[in-house]
Amino acid sequence: DNVIRSYKYSALTFLPLSLFEQFQRIANIYFLCIVVLQFQSIPAISTLPWYTTMIPLLTVLSVRGFKDLADDLARRHSDSQINRQPCDLLTNESFTSVQWKDVCVGDVLRLHKDQTADLLLLTTTEPHSLCYIETSDIDETNLKIRQALAVTHQELSSDPIEPSLLAFDCEEPNSHLHSFKGVLEWRDMRHLLDTGHILLRGTVLRNTRVAYGLTIYTLDSKILQNCGQTAVKTTQVERTLNKVVVGIVLLVLLFALLLAVGAGIFEARVAPGIEALAELGGRYTPVYKVFLTFWGYIILLSPSMPMSLYIRFELVHVIHSLFIGWDLDLYDGGVDVPAHARSTTLNEELGQVRYLLSDKTGTLTENRLIFRQCCVAGVLYPLDLSWNPFSCGGLQFSDKRLVDTLRKPGSPDVREFFKALALCHTVMAEWKDQAASPDEETLVGAARELGWVFLSRTRDSMTLSELGHRRQYQLLALLDFTSQRRRMSVLRDPEGELKLYCKGADIVILERLRKDSTYCESTEKALEQVFSQGCLRTLCVAVRSVQEGLWEEWSRALELAAMTTGASDDLYDNMERELTLLGVTAIEDQLQVGVPETIATLRQAGIKVWVLTGDKKTAVNVGFACRLLDPGTRLLQGEELVEFEEQPELGKRFIALSRQCQAVLCCRTTPSQKAGVVQLIRKYTSSITMAIGDGANDVNMIKAHIGVGLNGLEGGQAVQNADFSLAKFHFLRKLLLVHGRWSYRRISVFLRYFLYKTSSFAFVHVWFAFCNGFSGQPMYETWFITLYTVLYTSFPVQCLAVFEQQDVSAEGSLRWPSLYQLGVGRQLFNPRLLAGTFLYSIYTSLVLFFLPLSVFCFSAIDFQTFSITVATASVFTSTTETGYWTMFNVAAIVFSMSMYFLATLILHSPLLHTIAPADFYFLAFQNAFASPLVWLTVLLTTCTAVLPSLAARALLLVLNPPDT
Amino acid sequence: MKSQQAANRPDNTAFTQQRLPAWQPMLSAHFVIPGFLLIGMAFIGIGVALYITSQNIQVLEKDYTGTGQYTACSECADMQTIPCICNVTFSLTTLFTGPVFLYYGLSNYYQNYRKYQVSRDDVQLWGDVTKSPGDACAPYQYIDNKPIAPCGSIANSMFNDTFSLYQIINGTMKLVPLDGKGIAWWTDYNIKFRNPSAQGSLQDAFNGTMKPVNWSKPAYELNPSDMNDNGFLNQDFLVWMRTAALPDFQKLYRRITSGDYALGLPPGDYVLQIEYNYAVKDFGRKKVVFSNVTWMGGKNEFLGVAYIVVGSLCLVMSVVMLVVYAKYKFADENA
Repeated sequence: DNVIRSYKYSALTFLPLSLFEQFQRIANIYFLCIVVLQFQSIPAISTLPWYTTMIPLLTVLSVRGFKDLADDLARRHSDSQINRQPCDLLTNESFTSVQWKDVCVGDVLRLHKDQTADLLLLTTTEPHSLCYIETSDIDETNLKIRQALAVTHQELSSDPIEPSLLAFDCEEPNSHLHSFKGVLEWRDMRHLLDTGHILLRGTVLRNTRVAYGLTIYTLDSKILQNCGQTAVKTTQVERTLNKVVVGIVLLVLLFALLLAVGAGIFEARVAPGIEALAELGGRYTPVYKVFLTFWGYIILLSPSMPMSLYIRFELVHVIHSLFIGWDLDLYDGGVDVPAHARSTTLNEELGQVRYLLSDKTGTLTENRLIFRQCCVAGVLYPLDLSWNPFSCGGLQFSDKRLVDTLRKPGSPDVREFFKALALCHTVMAEWKDQAASPDEETLVGAARELGWVFLSRTRDSMTLSELGHRRQYQLLALLDFTSQRRRMSVLRDPEGELKLYCKGADIVILERLRKDSTYCESTEKALEQVFSQGCLRTLCVAVRSVQEGLWEEWSRALELAAMTTGASDDLYDNMERELTLLGVTAIEDQLQVGVPETIATLRQAGIKVWVLTGDKKTAVNVGFACRLLDPGTRLLQGEELVEFEEQPELGKRFIALSRQCQAVLCCRTTPSQKAGVVQLIRKYTSSITMAIGDGANDVNMIKAHIGVGLNGLEGGQAVQNADFSLAKFHFLRKLLLVHGRWSYRRISVFLRYFLYKTSSFAFVHVWFAFCNGFSGQPMYETWFITLYTVLYTSFPVQCLAVFEQQDVSAEGSLRWPSLYQLGVGRQLFNPRLLAGTFLYSIYTSLVLFFLPLSVFCFSAIDFQTFSITVATASVFTSTTETGYWTMFNVAAIVFSMSMYFLATLILHSPLLHTIAPADFYFLAFQNAFASPLVWLTVLLTTCTAVLPSLAARALLLVLNPPDT
Repeated sequence: MKSQQAANRPDNTAFTQQRLPAWQPMLSAHFVIPGFLLIGMAFIGIGVALYITSQNIQVLEKDYTGTGQYTACSECADMQTIPCICNVTFSLTTLFTGPVFLYYGLSNYYQNYRKYQVSRDDVQLWGDVTKSPGDACAPYQYIDNKPIAPCGSIANSMFNDTFSLYQIINGTMKLVPLDGKGIAWWTDYNIKFRNPSAQGSLQDAFNGTMKPVNWSKPAYELNPSDMNDNGFLNQDFLVWMRTAALPDFQKLYRRITSGDYALGLPPGDYVLQIEYNYAVKDFGRKKVVFSNVTWMGGKNEFLGVAYIVVGSLCLVMSVVMLVVYAKYKFADENA
């Protein structure tokens, strides 16, 4: 059957599966172990009761569980939408509407417009069983022709179907979109099938009323095979964070070990002398006591592991992503498209991009093409259409000569040239909504304006109106355009004469010209000089007269090749030679608004902009126009990239060289090469790269690292696969310089703050150990430890991660792009800074413990008051580290502190003590907070703890005052 | 209402556009430098006030461990004669302003040792002596299968030296009345601790329980002079059960608030008579402390000094910033 099941959980499996997934995280396992340790009854180990870890752990697990559940429900919903799509299935000589999920292999379907499956095309309502499919979800060219086998076409359009007589054999399901091999047996005849006979799921039927097809693959359709598991992209910050977490675990182990040794010494030397303590150790040997103390301290120090950090980290990411979508500056009112962060895990990397790899067409340029110039028979005709960038209808001639030449009889070269333009293409005359390829539409349009009107096309013929005379041409073969060949040809038979019209990239055509071809020199000169000055895209048009004998020989060879190997490129090559040059067309693709400025800003920000394009030298012109290029630019071609892949040594040297360059332009790259370049950069520089593109040919590149898709003309594939989608290239400036920089800054500050607050709070236990005989006595009340991360200190740090923008405003970020270097250089989250954060948290924990100790030493202050003093100072220290006070920050701090006092008041209330005296034994609130000494100590401790960071920030501010 | 064309237009609010009004306290040097200056001055002010207050507190400490450099009570230090009474004499040349608090102090006594600190049963201390004592009380849980009340090591190790103070007036010893009422926390006396209730006397309530091993008297006979100061609500017991924060600590023993001594201890010779029961010489020392108190509690020089130091650091910081700022401005104007 055809039921798509992308959801993971059922009601029964949700709990076990979700838990299984969650416990693959090392942090969760760690805390589970801690809980298990806490559940045993040896008091030396269970220094903290089970709920101190259990409550936060359950919170984290359930929040994550709910998120997974919500995601899964969304997947279920989309699955059922796909599964319930209606389609017409042949049953007992009539078609009935069934749901998509009920389709099986071998079923005959009737397709109307839109959705298809992986089908063998049997017949269509169009002449010759042609049909057109839009493949924008699969590859770059939009519209393709598919045709049923002649035999099925003939039989099925005349006779009733006898499906049982059909036998069908094909290859195993695979992911190759552009190849297919199969055999159809029909009345003892074997018919070979290739990719031209099948429709793929993901393509859309166009210009065809009804098509009938036989289902070949259902669930293993080619497109589903193709969307392999997308690699989960983790950010560099997150990888560092993981290392930090491992570091903290190791540190906790080390501390626990040292404290256990201390306990051993204490138990051996001091404790036996104190009668009250000596009896307590009782029956255990000192070594065993040390062992227990070790585990006890592991539990006691476990709060230094930021358990809820990951989940909060995700939340921050989601909010940052929302900010991107909410930004009015990234909203294109013209097409009503806001920016969208499709991936919510990569935000901070937006602030760290060192290499920006951009597609050219549609990304830097508008992909709205204007026929600018042509060079026919060595004469250059400029067409000035600049007054109307959308000109598709009326062409305005600036050059009277061309019209004169056209009207004058006996200028065969010029006429041949426009005839070629009108014939050599795959445009559908009926199909006006979208152009199969914008280039072709422009060229056919130009020919139309000049008198060669393309009227209609059938499977094997084309009708033109040539300066008013209607003529029909027979189409013999169509040598299709591919990104490797970059040319296409048509063979036709006007009045008995066979001709091949060929259109393609200039160097491809020029190397296939006849030796004695005229105008070659002048055309090349025109190419070099004139066309290349504007950012024009050039195509050469050539013709070849084909002998009847050669054609027959060639077509037989082609048939044979199709049946055996399927490789026809060599044959195509044989035909496309000995060409005669007709002329050159030049199409201008205008730059998008703000592209030069954006690229200039990005370069000031220290981002290296690389342009990867499938085009040829015109890319260079675009490069100059974008202020991308200066004489230092290195130009790379696809052939050279192949060498890099083969010789790693070269690749390394190339990257080393390109580091010296401000900009690199890679021409004639195939989609896979584009991705290859990304991987090359990542392999040798470990930098963060961002790829931006708008078409399906950019998908590989976009998937390779951070990808930005532009909502362009070329279908939605780029956006579908991108991490971020934008409407315009110049939005990149704000996305990177403002959102990216803020995200990086906020997340770095957030993570460091979070680590600081958990470790400074937990390490107090280490110092306290020296004063309590290394006995594992907690410094704080157990409820305080339970609620500290969850309730008392979580909101301010969360607000900081969302609102922090204290260094420079959005306008400032754009005005001083060099500030972006902070992120590229990883200056806010690196081992050195983390070590600093860590030392600072050690300092804080020392202050938190030793200042109250010094105040209370030799005094009559009891343990609980001491504990509350340290705890209050700890909450104050951990909540006030904010420099940018929005109302939310203030509210969060006020809320946190009130929660602390309120919760402490409740937990210390007589009522709770009455209910469970053993669990609520801290009744110190009233006495402690009534004491001025406690308040004075809290104030002193808090101020001393935050003074260094405050002073450092103030000093920085005085040194670099914010520009106003 | 959004028009149809702009259905996807993001909202233009301060929150979504990240233009929330914010107050940046560290906006400029004009704010930061005076800010540090003010904080510094305030801290120094508080510090000086604390220091002066602390200096005005009179403290008299007498170590009576009986070993080492202090010889007081050396006759009792070996714990051979029980009970052993010893005297500590001192003389005051000026008035020791009242109310005078009498503390006992122990050093190197780890009341915050974890197994010690949990060695109690809060449910039992809340008046339920019929239940079996919690495991945390081990090894002071049972004697002869009878529950110990109060159980646990804290109670068992209760400080049991007693003090009485005499002023020597013309060769005769005049008893200075020591007030033991209200020395424990209100919450401890009224909420956290309760005597077991029973028909009849307190002794009946403790029926079926054993006294802690080290105690010479059962809980209900802790204070023979005041029937209401017995059981779990005995003030000395409450003070002892509120365990100390650090190994060296003091605990309030009595206050001198009444009679001729309400205004303080007048100049003269005094004898502190100690019933020496509590052995500490194996690990630490014990002492008695006379002190008067202010709003900030007992003598505490550290706090005042610390405030002054931190305040001075703030001042230094503000000066450093001023210099840096001046240099920066200077360089800026020259440039």
